[in-house]
This record gives sequence, C-alpha cells and structure tokens, in this order.
Amino acid sequence: MASKASLKGKGKAGKGSKASEEGSSAAKCVKEWSTWAMKKAKVITHYGFIPLIIVIGMNSEPKPQLYQLLSPV
Amino acid sequence: MGSSVSHAGAPPPTPAAAPPTPIPVGLATALPPNTEVQGDGKGVSEKVDWLNLPCPVPFEEIQREALMSLKPELFEGLRFDFTKGLNQTFALSHSVFMGSMEVPSQSSDIIKVPTAHYEFGANFLDPKLMLIGRILTDGRLNARVKCDLTDNLTLKINAQLTNEPHFSQGMFNFDYKGQDFRSQIQIGNNAFYGANYIQSVSPHLYLGSEVFWLGHQRKSGIGFAARYNTDKMVTTGQIASTGIVALSYVQKVSEKVSLASEFMYNHMTRDVTSSFGYDYILRQCRLRGKLDSNGVVAAFLEERLNMGVNLLISAEIDHSKKDYKFGFGMTVGE
Repeated sequence: MASKASLKGKGKAGKGSKASEEGSSAAKCVKEWSTWAMKKAKVITHYGFIPLIIVIGMNSEPKPQLYQLLSPV
Repeated sequence: MGSSVSHAGAPPPTPAAAPPTPIPVGLATALPPNTEVQGDGKGVSEKVDWLNLPCPVPFEEIQREALMSLKPELFEGLRFDFTKGLNQTFALSHSVFMGSMEVPSQSSDIIKVPTAHYEFGANFLDPKLMLIGRILTDGRLNARVKCDLTDNLTLKINAQLTNEPHFSQGMFNFDYKGQDFRSQIQIGNNAFYGANYIQSVSPHLYLGSEVFWLGHQRKSGIGFAARYNTDKMVTTGQIASTGIVALSYVQKVSEKVSLASEFMYNHMTRDVTSSFGYDYILRQCRLRGKLDSNGVVAAFLEERLNMGVNLLISAEIDHSKKDYKFGFGMTVGE
C-alpha cells in the first residue's frame, strides 16, 4: 500500500523529485519490514521463551529426569 | 529501582525468593568486614594506591542498601511461592497470589481490585548465562536474560510482553566493566536511549552520571550521582534534570542491625518525602520496618520456620489515606 502511493506520487511529481521518492520508499520498505520482523519476534518470544529455558535446563549437567518437571517432590 | 530519572521501560521486579537468613544480606555483604587489627592502640591508616582503585557498584545499584532496607516487597493478600530445583543451575517456580491490587485513580480515593493469579517460572542460572522467565495466567511474560559476552562486557535484556498491543516493554543493556569504572548503554522500546557511567575517585567515593533520551516525547535528561561508603555507613546523593533530588544514608549499627533514612524531593510536583527505617537481620528472621513523612508505617517480616520454608508477614498502614494493607505468605524452596 505504501509503495503504490509512492508510485502515484512519482507519476505526478516529475523527474526532479524522483530520487527523493525512491529514497523515501526504500526507507518506508525498511521500516515496514522491520515492524513486521519485530511483531514476529515478539510473538515468537512470547510463546517460545519459557520452553527455550526448559529445553536448555533439561540439557544441562547433571541431566534431570523428565518426571521431575511435573512432580512436586 | 535504583535510578531516580524517569524512563519508559521499568525493569520488572526481581523474582520473589526470600533469601535464607543465615547468609547475611543487605549491608553485611555490601561492605567489607572490619578486619583492621588495632595492635598498637591506634588505627593504622592504609596508604591509598591511586592507580588501583576498586571497581564501583553498578550505577543502578548505587542506592542498593537503602532500597533493600526501606523498600521491601510489601503486598496485600495471600502469597505462596514454591521453587523446585531440578539441578544446580535449573529451577522451576510456581507462585500463587490472591489479594487486592491498587488501581491508580485521579481522585484521592483508593480503588482496589481483587485479583488472583498463578505464575509459572523457569530459571536457568549459569555463571555466564542467566535466563529467567515468568508467565502469568493473563498471558503476561516477564523475561530477563543476562549474558557475559566477554570478561568485561555483559548484555542484559529485560522484557515484559503482554497480549494487548502496544503495552509490551523491552530494554537492552550493554555493560562494560573497566578496572575502576563501569559504563552502560541502554536501548529500550518507545525509542528510549540511555547511557550511564560511574567511576571510583577514591577507595570510598564513587561518582557517576547518566543521560537519557526519549524519542517519542522528545525528552532528554541528565543526572549525577555520588556514593560514599565506609565500613559502617553508606551515603548517596542523586540529582537529575527531571527535577528529582534523592539523598540516602544507611548506618550499620551492629552486625545484625542497620538503620536507613532517605529524602526525596521532586521539583516538578513539589513533592517531598522522607523516610526512616530499620533492618534487623537475625538468625531466624529478617525484620524491616519503615516510617514515612506521608504518614505510612510499614513492616515486613521473613521468618525461617525450617530449612527452605519461610513465612512472610507484610503490613502497611497509611494513616493519612486510611488505607490498611496486611498480607501473609509462605515461600518454599531456595
């Protein structure tokens, strides 16, 4: 959606501002992708951080048994 | 906690685990024991090696003793924590809380909302890598990562993620420890950037300063701090361009008792608070109490009933707002 708006802007404005339009559309693309990446990273961290700690902990020495995760002893 | 300069991402409170009371905490571990031998009747003064000064405490812990004595984790309601260690480095924790939480309100009335939640947590504590995660029943995740990249460089990440959009917070810290200085760079969400630096200028005196910049609100600030400690006392002062002046003084009266006092002045809201507190670290219990200029009297007791079983009793009485909060709880496990 942002790239279509910038293409329309290129048609209307003319050659002088073409370079700045390309620059700002590249910046907009980078910003869009980084926002998308941050959102995905947030979801992955939200669901995966505690399982990651459990996996790292279960593989550390001395290896605990699987039943110890659930039993209260 | 620590810094008196306001910034966007507040670090999450440390996981609740009452320390086993035989191990001294608070002022007893922060200051070196007084081992000077008075052989000939007068004290021998040590020659100061100006090129070999000790490494200072981190900037956010400059008021550590005063905070530990004056700001225990008071709560209202029932609290039960169970920590189960699976091996030396890995532990799971379960925590239940049932009580009232205060909702900030515009008027001076206090609105309390009854809440109950269960929190599951996992800790991985390695000398080089520390991972702590806590997740609540409403979907909030508190994550803390501390990684020693090299001997002197440490990366810390603090994050609080929620299901609601735009309410999550995160902060990255890079710490560099030199021989007699420490520096830190902070990057947080909402375009928060901060840096601080603390240097020892003598074996007892540390000076530090910090700057921060909030991108979205275009606010920036600078602050200065100083800490002077000897075997028996610690005194700190902090002043910031946000208009906050904070002074504190902690005196170690004996091995088991320390007294602390704090003064805070906020120039923007013309708010002045001073508080005075005590910290008794006895064999079986730790008792902390404080008295405030806002008319608040608080006390917090952690009693060791058995190996690994601690009883907690918390009381906070606000005479001016007529707000009385009492809580009790139990902590099982290390």
